[in-house]
Amino acid sequence: MAQPTSSALRALALEYKSLQEEPVEGFRVKLVNEDNMFEWEVAIFGPPDTLYQGGYFKAHMKFPPDYPYSPPSIRFMTKVWHPNVYENGDLCISILHPPVDDPQSGELPCERWNPTQNVRTILLSVISLLNEPNTYSPANVDASVMYRRWRDSKGRDKEYENIIRKQAQAAKMEAEKEGIVVPLTLEDYCIKTRARPAEQQLDMTDFYDDEYELDDDEDDQLSASDYEDGDDSGNGES
Amino acid sequence: MEDKRSPQWSSENTDVNQDELILQQQRRIEREISESIALVGEKESLISLELEYAKDEVYLAKTKVLGQKYSYIRRTRPDGNCFFRAFSYAYLERLIDNKEEYEKFRELALKSKDNLVALGFPQFTVEDFHDTFMEVIDKVGGDSEASRLELHKLFNEQGYSDYVVVYLRLITSGQLQREADFYQHFIEGDRTISEFCHQEVEPMYKESDHIHIIAMSTALGTGVRVRYMDRGAGTEVTAHDFPEGALPTVHLLYRPGHYDILYP
Repeated sequence: MAQPTSSALRALALEYKSLQEEPVEGFRVKLVNEDNMFEWEVAIFGPPDTLYQGGYFKAHMKFPPDYPYSPPSIRFMTKVWHPNVYENGDLCISILHPPVDDPQSGELPCERWNPTQNVRTILLSVISLLNEPNTYSPANVDASVMYRRWRDSKGRDKEYENIIRKQAQAAKMEAEKEGIVVPLTLEDYCIKTRARPAEQQLDMTDFYDDEYELDDDEDDQLSASDYEDGDDSGNGES
Repeated sequence: MEDKRSPQWSSENTDVNQDELILQQQRRIEREISESIALVGEKESLISLELEYAKDEVYLAKTKVLGQKYSYIRRTRPDGNCFFRAFSYAYLERLIDNKEEYEKFRELALKSKDNLVALGFPQFTVEDFHDTFMEVIDKVGGDSEASRLELHKLFNEQGYSDYVVVYLRLITSGQLQREADFYQHFIEGDRTISEFCHQEVEPMYKESDHIHIIAMSTALGTGVRVRYMDRGAGTEVTAHDFPEGALPTVHLLYRPGHYDILYP
């Protein structure tokens, strides 16, 4: 199964390069380990004028060997209290679900995975999910109940809001320790994240030429074992 | 709709892992199939089909009837993408010997990307699929014998082969969505056209039905004849032309769940 992986590598290298050159508002991406294109670290800035304002949330994205035919998974490394985030940080969002025929699912079918979805479209969906949780298929039922109380009381019941703001604040302090300034106004959020130069740009030709065009054997080694491990552990814990 | 669904969520929640397990098993099975059958095989005499059904009277009788019109079969990997893969292989193979039609198709393919972006598909990824699609078309545009070899090679390289499939799925989805008023009548249940496209057309490994074939052949301005072979009564191998009345440029054999290429 060398070739599906070479497609995946090629697609990921292309996207990585593009996101370095033209970042999505409110996000930064880098590789968890420079030798492995299949695992990315994503940092999400809480959007201004929302409960998440000031927050800096880290997550890992894991891509399957048959990406982009199958979706990646996302796990938050920062604590996130949210109806669609499991205890262990796994994010449950419909865009990352394969298109099974399941009329009972609470998700809109139009949000399912297809091969034209990409990191950019995923990250934009994640940011919109932060503010608009899907309470029809909650991963964290307590958070979902609390969120609905907050929403239905038009913000008078502050339990949900307080938890989120506290987490955002803690995450912000964490970011400051790392020397990262979290944008607080809409203006900074949009402009700064756009203007930031690509910092740790990798030489993509390495990935592209070596893995995609030529050497099938190397592809074999790279992907299968890497993914198999990740997949198993992710599954056991969720 | 939401009211109907809300009681489901608590039970649905516990099914998450099960879905994942089923999917994993499905992927394992797919992988096993994949490894045993070429994406697109060599051209074989139809006798190979007769041998396959030596002990199956119903299919054997039908294979013999099929043999009156067709001499060769080219098998494709049964991975749910077989219609798109079989069609695109057979169509490009035909175009190799028909430069005028080739140029027309190339023009159409070149322009198809803008339509898809206009329909809301992410430009970044659509461009990538489109580039590969054009690359394949360009690589089979030269001298006949070399192009034939190149075609066979490209279609057995998963990277190229699957990208062609993805792109044809997008073209099909685009056609269905542009003519949604018309195609809506063929959709069962209360799904909208775009829901149908997101669930049944755009994702890889989803099998194709009449509606996929009609939309794709219409979008590409060509005709497909499908020969249906199943356990039904009689010895006929019914032909359906898509779109209705179009001159077929590609002939496919359908057996439940799978398409292969037929040649006279």
